[in-house]
Amino acid sequence: MITEHELDNLIICKKCHTLHERLPLLGKKKALCSKCNVLLYQNNPNIINKTLAMVVTAAISLFLAFYFTIISINIQGLEKDLNLYSLFLVLIEHHQYIVGIIFIFLIFIFPITIIVAMLTLLILMKQKKNPYLVKRLLIILAHIRPWSMIDIFFISLLVAMVKLFDYASIEFGVAFIAFAFTLILDIIITKNISFDALWRKYQESYGRVNEE
Amino acid sequence: MKNDVHFIRCHICEAVNHDNGENHKCRRCHSPIYHNLKLSYHKTLAFLITAIILYIPANIYPILISKQFGIISESTIMGGIMHLWESGSYPIALIILVASVFVPLLKFIFIIYLLIATRYKLNSSQQDKHKLFYITEAIGPWSMVDVFVVIILSVLIHFSGIQVIPGAGATAFALMVFFTMISALSFDTRLISEKHNTSLEGNT
Repeated sequence: MITEHELDNLIICKKCHTLHERLPLLGKKKALCSKCNVLLYQNNPNIINKTLAMVVTAAISLFLAFYFTIISINIQGLEKDLNLYSLFLVLIEHHQYIVGIIFIFLIFIFPITIIVAMLTLLILMKQKKNPYLVKRLLIILAHIRPWSMIDIFFISLLVAMVKLFDYASIEFGVAFIAFAFTLILDIIITKNISFDALWRKYQESYGRVNEE
Repeated sequence: MKNDVHFIRCHICEAVNHDNGENHKCRRCHSPIYHNLKLSYHKTLAFLITAIILYIPANIYPILISKQFGIISESTIMGGIMHLWESGSYPIALIILVASVFVPLLKFIFIIYLLIATRYKLNSSQQDKHKLFYITEAIGPWSMVDVFVVIILSVLIHFSGIQVIPGAGATAFALMVFFTMISALSFDTRLISEKHNTSLEGNT
């Protein structure tokens, strides 16, 4: 058997599960998988501050995206707005409860949970407080991450707009820009930030916390 | 150098762990890595079958019902794609075709292949199977596009004369995507490597 410290110096590629040994990197170089060229790890000394900045921005733009009108259409004088409130209202009115619940979770609850959890987590890590909560939040995040579908919603929005283009005049709301902004930040936060790096930071700041 | 020990990646915190049999907890996040491999296999299979069954009503029932001054017209997924293609919006028709027809079918085929491969020890490369699983997980949510489009349209076209209503197909389709995702998530990557443990790659 090899020790924990040696295990920490190993990394398994997320795509092809090839085992690699971690080597110290110089500057801004990246370590790629030898088999499939997927990013394994990179030097990121400021990961907490950088991520925190992005999460705060994402929180603001997510609030704007959910609060204001995304797009509004105009068909020969008849106007209709698309915002979160009208989304829920119409889904309930049409008795689409299953689709409604799935939709609310994927578009509303999970993205907000991710942002709030990240925010709490990073602030706590910055102050080196409450290791137990930090760990819980990291685990919750790992479970929710695949279920946030802001990006897919945005593509759907574009598809729907193209479909409507012939019949109606479309006006962009404030929330549309906010949505686009959230989308970019969401992709960076949920897909590009290495959670392995966050876990390493967690171990660094709190030491090895044993539960049982 | 460490070829006699097998390693496994924790699916929660991505830490490298020793792979020493059943009932094991991750050394970093303490989440259980494997309850039971057999259970994982059967769960994946069960959710997959549920998803495949749901795929049938998702295609047969209308995903979108439009009411135009009392005249009701319904369109299924394929019908909608055909309509888009005929009206000349080729890129949109292609997006919908890929997202709601190809992606679910690909997912079914990939998961079935992975299950068969683990069951009957097919002689394909372990890395390819890991890659296949990675792709399966990545493309999964994209099939939701059609459901979201229908929901957005139903909100925007909601007047007294003209209405768009999500049909039963939308519910079936959303549930189908949900179950394929659950199926992929309950698939244990160790199922891939278990039969080939001896051929585990050395480090670089």
